[in-house]
Amino acid sequence: MGNEAAAAAAEAEHAKELIHYLAREIAPGITVHMQTMYMTWIVMIILILLFVFASKNAKLIPSGLQNGMEFFVEFIEGLVKGSLGEKGWKAIGSFFVSTFMFILISNELGMLPQVGVHWTSPTNDINTCFALSLTVAIGVYFVGVATNGLGFFKHFVSPSPAFLPLHLLDELTKPLTMALRLFGNILAGEILLIILYQLAPWIVPEFWVMFSLFIGFLQAFIFTMLSICSYEKIYAHH
Amino acid sequence: MTENAIIITACMFAVAIICFGAAIGAAWGNGNLTGKGLESMARQPEESGKLFTNMLVSVGLVESMPILCYVIAVVLVFANPFIK
Repeated sequence: MGNEAAAAAAEAEHAKELIHYLAREIAPGITVHMQTMYMTWIVMIILILLFVFASKNAKLIPSGLQNGMEFFVEFIEGLVKGSLGEKGWKAIGSFFVSTFMFILISNELGMLPQVGVHWTSPTNDINTCFALSLTVAIGVYFVGVATNGLGFFKHFVSPSPAFLPLHLLDELTKPLTMALRLFGNILAGEILLIILYQLAPWIVPEFWVMFSLFIGFLQAFIFTMLSICSYEKIYAHH
Repeated sequence: MTENAIIITACMFAVAIICFGAAIGAAWGNGNLTGKGLESMARQPEESGKLFTNMLVSVGLVESMPILCYVIAVVLVFANPFIK
């Protein structure tokens, strides 16, 4: 009995290292997850290269890489113009394109085959997901005051003052659920992938990778959709 | 039994109940709304683009709670914080 428990405890200790964040203390008391930082920088480099090369010698009738990137931009343009209107697209449309592309490429980065570099998604870290959702939540106030002035805060009592607790609760829970949804989906997918690679021959985990690619796109789309809905209250009073 | 064995046993039962509830919740919720989505798309095929988009958004929203339950279950199985 004692031996089995000791073996189970040893295996749990070993399995604690399932997801490596490479935490490093860069200053007394401040710890940074270096794996997340490296992967975030790689995603940024990929995005910058993609869009810079897509917009070199931009033609009116696109083809090749420019066509591909225009597909994503027009996809987000359709979503934004549907909710925020022309004014919203001109003011902050590019923010949603950046958000969508960043989350899309982050989610798909963890699905690359682990040869040489240990690829993980930066969104499997709870800090990245909360950073994204807090940026969206706090940005609403900055953009709202810049667009509508201080009358923007009237939306808290908008249908009637009895709605104030409801709006406050919404402001608290929406960033929380957005971040946790993205984090949960991507982390659960990655842990399952690690376990499948250990258990089954090489072709079986690839089915899960295929499904995970779709889930990555879906979660990026849902996050962007919810961010656009958060900004609707700025452009609704016309 | 040793303390670790009791903790692991209890966690395994907890994981089973969590996954049971999460699977039923996710499948029932998604099934309901996808069924209604397909019905609406069959009634008005010209609106199926917008309907499909909204259906996907709702699927993501409904799935978020079971996914959070799965994350708790996976943490209990593979990175159990209670084991000494």
